[in-house]
Amino acid sequence: MPEIKVTPLGAGQDVGRSCILVSIGGKNIMLDCGMHMGYNDDRRFPDFSYITQQGRLTEFLDCVIISHFHLDHCGALPYMSEMVGYDGPIYMTHPTKAICPILLEDFRKITVDKKGETNFFTSQMIKDCMKKVIPLNLHQTVQVDDELEIKAYYAGHVLGAAMVQIKVGSESVVYTGDYNMTPDRHLGAAWIDKCRPDILISESTYATTIRDSKRCRERDFLKKVHETVERGGKVLIPVFALGRAQELCILLETFWERMNMKAPIYFSTGLTEKANHYYKLFITWTNQKIRKTFVQRNMFEFKHIKAFDRSYIDNPGPMVVFATPGMLHAGLSLQIFRKWAGNEKNMIIMPGYCVQGTIGHKILNGQKKLELENRQTLEVKLQVEYMSFSAHADAKGIMQLIRMAEPRNMLLVHGEAKKMEFLKDKIEQEFSINCFMPANGETSTVATNPSVPVDISLNLLKREMALGGPLPDPKKPRTMHGTLIMKDNCVSSLIFFSDFGCPWLEHQLRFTCRVQLQDAHSDSDTHIRIYTHLKSVLKGYTIQHLPDGTVMVESIVIKVSSSPEEPNTKVLLLSWSYQDEDLGSFLSTLLKKGLPAALSSM
Amino acid sequence: HCVLWTKEERYSNIHEYQLEHPTRVIEWTGEKNVCVAGYNLSKNEILELLLPLKLFADDNQGLCAERDFKVVHGGFTDGSIHCLKHIPGTRCVVTNDGSSSKLQVWDVGGDDCDVIKKTGDIHLKTASLDKGVKIDSPLTGNASVLHGSQVNDIQLTELTSGTPLYTLGTDIPDVLSSLRFVSGSVFLACSVNGDVYVGDTRSPSYLQKSPAGGREGNHWCMGVRADSSLPEPSSCSVARLSSSCQAVVSDLRNLKSPVCQAQLNVQRKTTSDEFLIVTWAPALDNCLAVSGFDGMVQIYNTASWRPELMEFQPIFIHRGHMMSDAHFDTSSSVVTTHVWHPSRPWTVLSAAGDGSVHVWDWVDNTTASC
Repeated sequence: MPEIKVTPLGAGQDVGRSCILVSIGGKNIMLDCGMHMGYNDDRRFPDFSYITQQGRLTEFLDCVIISHFHLDHCGALPYMSEMVGYDGPIYMTHPTKAICPILLEDFRKITVDKKGETNFFTSQMIKDCMKKVIPLNLHQTVQVDDELEIKAYYAGHVLGAAMVQIKVGSESVVYTGDYNMTPDRHLGAAWIDKCRPDILISESTYATTIRDSKRCRERDFLKKVHETVERGGKVLIPVFALGRAQELCILLETFWERMNMKAPIYFSTGLTEKANHYYKLFITWTNQKIRKTFVQRNMFEFKHIKAFDRSYIDNPGPMVVFATPGMLHAGLSLQIFRKWAGNEKNMIIMPGYCVQGTIGHKILNGQKKLELENRQTLEVKLQVEYMSFSAHADAKGIMQLIRMAEPRNMLLVHGEAKKMEFLKDKIEQEFSINCFMPANGETSTVATNPSVPVDISLNLLKREMALGGPLPDPKKPRTMHGTLIMKDNCVSSLIFFSDFGCPWLEHQLRFTCRVQLQDAHSDSDTHIRIYTHLKSVLKGYTIQHLPDGTVMVESIVIKVSSSPEEPNTKVLLLSWSYQDEDLGSFLSTLLKKGLPAALSSM
Repeated sequence: HCVLWTKEERYSNIHEYQLEHPTRVIEWTGEKNVCVAGYNLSKNEILELLLPLKLFADDNQGLCAERDFKVVHGGFTDGSIHCLKHIPGTRCVVTNDGSSSKLQVWDVGGDDCDVIKKTGDIHLKTASLDKGVKIDSPLTGNASVLHGSQVNDIQLTELTSGTPLYTLGTDIPDVLSSLRFVSGSVFLACSVNGDVYVGDTRSPSYLQKSPAGGREGNHWCMGVRADSSLPEPSSCSVARLSSSCQAVVSDLRNLKSPVCQAQLNVQRKTTSDEFLIVTWAPALDNCLAVSGFDGMVQIYNTASWRPELMEFQPIFIHRGHMMSDAHFDTSSSVVTTHVWHPSRPWTVLSAAGDGSVHVWDWVDNTTASC
């Protein structure tokens, strides 16, 4: 029975480490390879021992696909490819390929340099890992090998995020990664065609969330900035790269204009360079449809936003500054933070998640005193605001996506099945499809009903046509006789050929059949009886009784054997070649009826 | 662009959500949980939602980024839900579909399962079969539910056994619009024509009627503010709202003579009266909220109202449900219901016919504070 197997890897139920194994049509694919950011030990890596207890993963995986650059989807990739060992292809979109190594290197630096860890991947490992990456374009089918093909779809969420379709023969799976169904200022909404995959894999947390509107999130951001600037304070916004930063810049610019605000807004030059790079990546990667939703704006054409200079840090009065890096672990944003942290009129707005070990992480946990490397302490008196701007789908969005793709089955990861019965019922009722919810380490097996494409030899086709009869009717299937060849249990190209006249056939096909008889005679006597019986029934056929007892009818061989435990039971072994199929079937039916009792040996 | 922003700070917090299907009920099942349900003619969902954690973070609000609703429990119903009441002290809610005399009893569920299960039906003998039933539940005592579609079929039924504990002995056929307990056993019933009745579940013969007395409007509803955990209501404000936008405030001790009244500043956008609702803020004095005329929720301060009918302006208007999102034309959307948080003074939840649900903390910018 053809089936697809899906296993989310790792221990624990929490969202935080995406790594899903899919077995489809004999192929094994790893979807994402994320790090769990909450743990410091091996629990942060997915549990690869599920694939193999020891040794490299190369021979067990046909490919690895990464959906986007967030660390909980790619953070364990260099560990997997260079420390556990995998040399096969790794697929991701162009922007993901460009941005991943930057984030991984930052992450590595923080973990090794700041936290002093030793069992972690090195810079060289990141480079070696990225050499294995094959970039994907949107909506372009990529042949991983003869049978396996993949295609990326636009997911929204962050720059370069993709939903992926994996196809072997007529079986397919779509993995959503992280996505959103409502467009925001610089990213469109996810989109997929009615590809009807056997399984659609997504996150269960989406389905149990109803998201607050973008308008309210933005309002909160503007309100906080306004309050701070009005009281003469300074606002620091550490950002990683353009995407989110540009969106916030556009917001502030509009607001500044409407409210006639005078305080200066700056962005750091490091950000400018990254911004240009990012911008080019984005434009070349997206297609027409998405480009239209992108706000076409040159970063440097903001009326109220200017380039920052380090000397401005000490300028009196209110200001807003966007600076890198995003987690305050080094560079300009940290330098600014150190100067501004001691003043309670100031504010820092963290627009994203910060890795453990960074200052960003510490202040988001409410820490008010920080120890710096020169043993000085820094008092955190400024207001700390954590705002999440990342675009995620929710309960409504997941239903929309199911409607778009029309999967035959739904599979949700990172949820507890017994706590999600309502959700399961909802999906099953609304779409009449099954909903699976495997726990981490647990495998869900989904039966598929693939149609099998078959090639037919010309001879057979001609012969069937020559037989005449009524014209073909699509409602009435017509039976044909031939032989089906399947290679290695594979569901791709099968050959269906007719009888004689196949010069390329190397194998001789023989059919065998066992017939049980109740017969108290000796083996050799039984042979004689068979021979006699057949000679009387099958007139006109060549029937032989060979010296070793075997009876032959044309090319059909009949042998008798018995076991010492059951001397009265004889087993007749019949064997014939394809050409004598009809006669062979007839003989086996005949002999099943048994031998006439009153047979005398001739 | 940011339509919510004005020079004056109107909200200290605001969250806006979009449900898949609109609700006309919002019922508290905990300090941070509400139940909502659909009102399609056929199949609907009941959901229990957890309010965003950021709202409750107070001093630590800055460090909490969590702004979303979580769906913690869900269930399916075969019919519409017009009325949903939580039975205090239990995980039970009782619903009615607005057109039949059957009450459905549900178990909202605990931590181990996310399904809201129906545990039974209570079939009522009501005089009218298509008016729908109003429901309330006493704050103290055994789990029971007070229900009625007309004054003459008001009854208190024990939940587990379905046994009637109290039946109001009267033959008044007036249709009910609101039913509310003001103490463990004293309740108020408001009929559609504006008359208010006081009953006591300890004495079936007791019934006090305070007629509307020639008031205009063909549809009235009622909002009650009392400390209903007390055995006897010491004071209780009763507000009656009419479909012609009049509000009348009385005290329970003297229902026949209203304390004050006002002509509200509302332009009616809808001809239907089914969503009219008036509520008192539980944790503020003299604060009244009305909705159901259009896409707004209006808040009034009754302290300045007078016994003679005069026009008054609201001290706050929530217009959020009228703003059109890119995908929805909400210009004709009516607010279907609103509720106050039981203890947070300025927190209000409101829902509208386009499926929107808003959670907002409004700021009182008037000099006379609520």
